[in-house]
Amino acid sequence: MTTPTETTGRVPAPDTVPVPKAAPSSRPRLWRRVTDAPLSFLMPFLLVYALFLIWPLLSGLWMSFTDVSLNGAGGAFVGAANYAEALGDPMVWRTLGNTFLFTVVTTVPLVAVALAMAVLVHTGMPGQWLWRLSFFMPFLLPVATVALVWNFLYIEDFGLFNQALRAFGMEGLGWLTDDDVALWSVALTTVWWTVGFNFLLYLAALQSIPDHLYEAAALDGAGAWARLRHITVPQLRNITVVVVLLQILASLKIFDQIYLMTGGGPGDSSRSLLLYIYDMGFTGYRFGYSAAVSYLFLAIVLLVAVVQLWLTTRRKA
Amino acid sequence: MSPHPSPPTPPTTGSGPATHAASPPTRRHMLLGAGALALSASALGCAPGTASGTSDVRFWSLFQGGDGARLETMLDAVREQAPHMRVTPSTLAWGPPYYTKLAMASVGGRAPETAVMHMSRLPGYAPGGLLDPFDLDLLAEFGVTAEDFVPDLWERGIHDGATYAIPLDTHPVVLFYDTAMAERAGLLGTDGTLRPLDSPEDFLEASRAIAEVSGGSGITYGHVNDDSQGWRIFWKLYNQTGAELHLPQGGPAELDQDEALRVFSFLAELMDGQTSEANLTYQSALAGFSSGRAGMLICGEWELPYLLDSVENLGAAPFPTVFEHPGSYADSHAFVLPRQSDPDPERVRAAHEFVALMVRNSLTWGEAGHIPAYSPVTESADYQALTPQSDYASAGETPVLDPEVWFAGAGSQFHSDVSEALRTAVSGQGPEAAVEQLTRSLDSWAARTNPSEGDSR
Repeated sequence: MTTPTETTGRVPAPDTVPVPKAAPSSRPRLWRRVTDAPLSFLMPFLLVYALFLIWPLLSGLWMSFTDVSLNGAGGAFVGAANYAEALGDPMVWRTLGNTFLFTVVTTVPLVAVALAMAVLVHTGMPGQWLWRLSFFMPFLLPVATVALVWNFLYIEDFGLFNQALRAFGMEGLGWLTDDDVALWSVALTTVWWTVGFNFLLYLAALQSIPDHLYEAAALDGAGAWARLRHITVPQLRNITVVVVLLQILASLKIFDQIYLMTGGGPGDSSRSLLLYIYDMGFTGYRFGYSAAVSYLFLAIVLLVAVVQLWLTTRRKA
Repeated sequence: MSPHPSPPTPPTTGSGPATHAASPPTRRHMLLGAGALALSASALGCAPGTASGTSDVRFWSLFQGGDGARLETMLDAVREQAPHMRVTPSTLAWGPPYYTKLAMASVGGRAPETAVMHMSRLPGYAPGGLLDPFDLDLLAEFGVTAEDFVPDLWERGIHDGATYAIPLDTHPVVLFYDTAMAERAGLLGTDGTLRPLDSPEDFLEASRAIAEVSGGSGITYGHVNDDSQGWRIFWKLYNQTGAELHLPQGGPAELDQDEALRVFSFLAELMDGQTSEANLTYQSALAGFSSGRAGMLICGEWELPYLLDSVENLGAAPFPTVFEHPGSYADSHAFVLPRQSDPDPERVRAAHEFVALMVRNSLTWGEAGHIPAYSPVTESADYQALTPQSDYASAGETPVLDPEVWFAGAGSQFHSDVSEALRTAVSGQGPEAAVEQLTRSLDSWAARTNPSEGDSR
């Protein structure tokens, strides 16, 4: 910006202001610089986005109305037949139930534990860097590594967990081989693996709460518990909304841990809907049907996200 | 992943210990970490040299670990014997991902010249036009004819009168045992090998006897959370009863309920949680046997290289004829010609030569534990000298392959569906419930429409 104070330093004539002359020619150029530059920076992204997200989204939608097969056969338009079949398919409901169960049993601890860890670390424990590092470290591991290591821990006759249980005189568990336990075991692994990310989000939010709020509260005689309840938690509401929403979406699309750790078994007790979609499409070759199920799932996920947003914005108002 | 060793070794048609035995015990079914294609980057970037008479053969396989190392040795031999060929191997992750990629490459018409496929998957591929048939005259020119193979196996490669698959091996499920424990349990014959256990009672008795010696389990079998194990053992034993299974298009399945019940009852008695655990995974059964906590292991011979390294007194026998008829569950790795939209006759010829050479060099393959399908190799003195391979070689004569339907075969969804029945039989609900569950699964598969049918281009 050219301000009068700047120009006066160099131009001796104080009354004739050159600004109006320069402005009309420079303003469009400036304007173009503002609008064009971001667009051209965004172009590669938008292209990739259209090519690998929008286009597959549309072609997948079309696919879901056909009986196209992986091995090239079929492809005829079958209307809503795939959707009708999906709604009557018990495995769709079964795996959807598993997916929801998994979402609940991971989201709750992943939010609560992350918050607790962040508060504990933030309240000035010694060795901050160590806690931050060790809580976040698991998140850096690739899922294959996590699954491999935890599969060893879970081995029934000589895995660490059962050894420990037996050392305390308890019965070993069929961590990944018992229908009632397998999904919970995968959830436990997931919590250990990903809690560090939420922890970091919370820690950052905690650090942005201004100190003077706590100082004022302390002057008013608020104890530690009151400060937590009336300052920390309300101040963290926005980040909690984000964390919960991200976590629900992440848990709904559970696939890799289950694929690697149990393959959906034993029975179908840990099979998630995405795993079923994968099996239908890539092992069963029914692309059309599998696309239809995935669009039903997309609808459910969108619904969950919208309801969640509506609930949180209503609370704010 | 493993780049190809460049200096060609002399043709490895001689016997002797495997030179690549130092492979880790990672198994191909452990898909962990094997998500991406393991393209061996050897011959990439070479220009096609038609002027010099070289022809390219791209070859897809699913062999990892010890198998992969043996394959490399065979490829070296082939390169040595046919220097005019440029072989570009690609190793892909075993199981559903492999078959998905192979099908998609064929649909796209840009498939490799040749690939490995489980014989049991052929009914899902050949009728859909995903494969091209072999030219038997051309193959004979390179020294391989139908007479060189077990007839049952060879016929599995025929569809509509044309040959679509040339078998490389059979890989049956066999019975591994610890010879020292078996001796103490009184299970060895006069020749020092396992005596026949040819009735259900005899088999169970042996399991109890060897459990006493091992102090842990008797005859163990891992099947929980596995895609195929439950089906493999059921199907083998069901065939041993002499019963048949028909899966007519549209269903219902015709399963002999009484014989199926007999099989599941026997298995429930074997895996009673006392002398043998009922809920072992594949890995924990393998680990239990290799660490001496179990005396015998029912498992595929493909674990041989690993077990040779970890069990001191390793013995192996064909799976016993528990019921009336001999039969070992087996599958067969076979070579196929994936469909190409615009095949180059030169390359097709080279692919035939390549397949013939691989089959003729399959002694190396026998060292990995598999039973070569090419009988001049299995009849050779070199193969006969391999132990314990030659002890179970007879399992290759009575292979029980999957039913010939489009949905069956290695790495199929069908396998993981029907495998569940075993778990039902051995845990809680019992053999009757297992038969019901199996019948339901079979019916629903028979009722499904073959996705390859209709307008296949």
